[in-house]
Amino acid sequence: MAKITVDGVEYEAKEGRTILQALDDLGVLMNGVDVPHYCWHPKLSIDGSCRLCQVEIEGVPKLQIACNTPIKDGMEIRTQTAQVKEAREGVMELLLVNHPLDCPICDQAGECKLQDYAFEYGVEHARTREPRRAAKKNVDFGPTIIFDQERCILCRRCVRFCREVPGTGEIGVFGRGDHSTIETFPGMELDNAYSMNVADICPVGALTTKDFRFKIRVWFLEDVPGVCTGCAKGCNVWLGTANNKVYRYVPRRNDAVNETWICDSGRMSYRHIGSADRHDRAMVRGELGVLEVVSLDAAVDAAAARLRALVEAKGPGVIGAIASGHGTNEDLEAFVRLLDGLGVEARGLATIQGDSDELLVQAEKAANGEGARRLGFGDASAVIDRLKGGGLEALVVMGHDLLHAQHMGPGALEALGRLDTLIVLDTHHSALERVAHVVIPSRHAAEKAGHLTNHEGIVQAVSPAVEPVGDALAEATAFDRIAAALGPAGGPG
Amino acid sequence: MLTVPYTTGYLTEHFADDAFTTLAGYRARGGYEAAKKAVTEMAPADVIALVKDSGLQGRGGAGFSTGLKWSFMPTEGDAPKYLVCNADESEPGSFKDRILLERGAHQMLEGILIAAWATGADATFVYVRGEYAFPAEQLSRAVAEAYEAGLLGENIFGKGFEHDVIVHRGAGAYICGEETGLLESLEGKKGQPRKKPPFPAQFGAFGMPTTVNNVETFSHVPHIVRNGAEWFKGIGTEKSPGNTVFGVSGHVVRPGLYELPLGTPLDEIVFEHAQGVPDGRKVKGVIPGGMSMPILPAGMLDVPMANEHLRERKTMLGTGGIMVMDERTCMVRTACVITYFFRDESCGQCTQCREGTGWLNKIVERIERGAGSESDLDLLLDVCGKMEAKTICAFADAAAWPVQGLLRHFREDFEEHVRQKKCPFPESFEL
Repeated sequence: MAKITVDGVEYEAKEGRTILQALDDLGVLMNGVDVPHYCWHPKLSIDGSCRLCQVEIEGVPKLQIACNTPIKDGMEIRTQTAQVKEAREGVMELLLVNHPLDCPICDQAGECKLQDYAFEYGVEHARTREPRRAAKKNVDFGPTIIFDQERCILCRRCVRFCREVPGTGEIGVFGRGDHSTIETFPGMELDNAYSMNVADICPVGALTTKDFRFKIRVWFLEDVPGVCTGCAKGCNVWLGTANNKVYRYVPRRNDAVNETWICDSGRMSYRHIGSADRHDRAMVRGELGVLEVVSLDAAVDAAAARLRALVEAKGPGVIGAIASGHGTNEDLEAFVRLLDGLGVEARGLATIQGDSDELLVQAEKAANGEGARRLGFGDASAVIDRLKGGGLEALVVMGHDLLHAQHMGPGALEALGRLDTLIVLDTHHSALERVAHVVIPSRHAAEKAGHLTNHEGIVQAVSPAVEPVGDALAEATAFDRIAAALGPAGGPG
Repeated sequence: MLTVPYTTGYLTEHFADDAFTTLAGYRARGGYEAAKKAVTEMAPADVIALVKDSGLQGRGGAGFSTGLKWSFMPTEGDAPKYLVCNADESEPGSFKDRILLERGAHQMLEGILIAAWATGADATFVYVRGEYAFPAEQLSRAVAEAYEAGLLGENIFGKGFEHDVIVHRGAGAYICGEETGLLESLEGKKGQPRKKPPFPAQFGAFGMPTTVNNVETFSHVPHIVRNGAEWFKGIGTEKSPGNTVFGVSGHVVRPGLYELPLGTPLDEIVFEHAQGVPDGRKVKGVIPGGMSMPILPAGMLDVPMANEHLRERKTMLGTGGIMVMDERTCMVRTACVITYFFRDESCGQCTQCREGTGWLNKIVERIERGAGSESDLDLLLDVCGKMEAKTICAFADAAAWPVQGLLRHFREDFEEHVRQKKCPFPESFEL
């Protein structure tokens, strides 16, 4: 460890780190110690080119860039001196020499580091009289990203990101001097599984995602911390919400989980939250043989009545349970309580396995499969085998991953249709409804409080970012209400 | 026409002799004896001490002690170490390295060999300016001859000493003359300087310890080994020993190369050696060391051409490329040319350089058009101040210094443009 002094405050920092890295490790960078920076990013290689992070070091005649200067024991660093402020002003003024003054129509406005830093560290008036650089607008970089050459300040974070994180390297700096530009290499598109992160790390409005641009002004968004539910990684995200709607996910830094990134498909999974195919009302199959919309109470009562009748008539051995990796630990714990009360032992977990990569994407396409396993829900195949063999007469199912070819696949509905009772708790519509007897709408992770256990066993909290759709209940609530309707012991009373 | 220097010294005295470009001719003049002496009779540390003692300063522009630079090379470890010979000579106004390659390739190779022995380098990459087709050809031929004669390759001078020389041609970017920009380009990457640390002596070409020296710097080395440090210190000034090859261009009767001791007064070079300005016109200003060095006005030409004296007049020796401008010259147009060059050649990494070079160029072009204002002159100096000493390499400084120099000594030219709202120098060169 090395002792460093920053603006008179002493810190202990790890040897071998640069000043910015040390401040970042200590959690004080831009959070107590203001060293503005553009090109430096905690998870990318050091570039040292924007020159904004220059600081004064005792005994060193010239200002040094904090991003690339290794700390030394006893180093005295000053970040707020007149010399430093003047250097920052110089950089800010020069960055604005060619930057268009189009904030009113720029989608980055409101979360633009050039705006923020110009306000904080820049000069009040432009001294340029020449026209600014005219360059390409609205450049289609690929399926996800639009590039504005005029707004680019050439920090080259995007170039380093593509080279270093997904390793695809589709973009580079072309040309020299004030005529240099970021472009895709000839014949290439910016197209990789993490492409949209370039919009997050772009400090200005040069790179924007096709998905989010022009949807809403960012100052209308409330950022709520949450977790992506696209796979077992559980990447930390900010949910950008307004008008009770989630407009986007952007990665929320968590060095233990996703660092500062999120995959594109996870990012786009925000669309499931408010999608048109959400269940919003409870349904019970009526006397005519079709599902009828009913009150939650009616659905809960119907589920309890069917389960009670079966247990009384044939015992709990004819009942099976399929948990989902999309529920929270609280949901799954309530499920366990209900099943324990009923005496149901045939329990399984259905999640879908898909593509994975070395970086973030996990094969299990559910955020809490590990949580379910830790609560005793094993592989669903034994339950499915019993179901197919006619050994079950009732099934309580969370979600509809069970229908996937990896579990039941074709013929699922035929087997499920033979059941006396099929109770489904689900966020989205699925073919299960064709054979279900009771359907209870459930809440997305963005609509409830609880915890998710990721593939490595890291337990992460979620909290409501938006109001639930319609009557949707957290599964925990639904299970507890069914248990209550069953009677004090949870069993036939 | 044979371009050999008008005045010669130990570096260039045999350049008129075609045979000197061949190995046999070079050896007939005592060539490779110094390298043999170093390798067979001297320990590497002694060679470094000798060069340090001689006071030889790098001739690529920065003027850093060559011996000291060599001493930064690590002596431990099995990793390969490299020398790089910077033959990218791209500073406008400089053309000395060209002749040293064309006529004295073996002399430079001998210097490389001695440096390789001193630093333990395994190979030398000679990075030759892309446009230097003929010099590269001459050098490649000399390298082939040296291999043939066992002066390169394995077991040189029977001492088990191995060294390879690889000739690499650049593609014509000014910034590839900056040592780490050169290294990037050598590695096949875009030529843009590296941030430091790490320094090339730890992490240079292909990540290995590397020392970069200029063509002329290497060319001095055999003479120092042959004649000793005291001999070398007897030439030039106390702080800047040795000869250098000045390149004189512009408004002079006899433009060309002049090998002279450091410390030779600038007016002697301009008026006696280069025979002054033609047609009886007067000198207006002289750039003493390549385009990035601040200009000196006619009244300051009595300065000895050595850094300790030039610094007193706020300029530097640079590459010794002397550019003479006569009284017809518009210094705002000069500023336009200089700032355009730097705007075009900035690699574009650092904010101050990328944006500052372009802004300077736009402002001086506006003044030249007659659309400038009084406040533009201070704005120019302010932008220069924002660029100076704040970037990865010295390019931004090199772009700011000449503008500062022009305003320091020729502010009235700029003011006259503002007052008359046009260029008052109808006879100046065309833009």
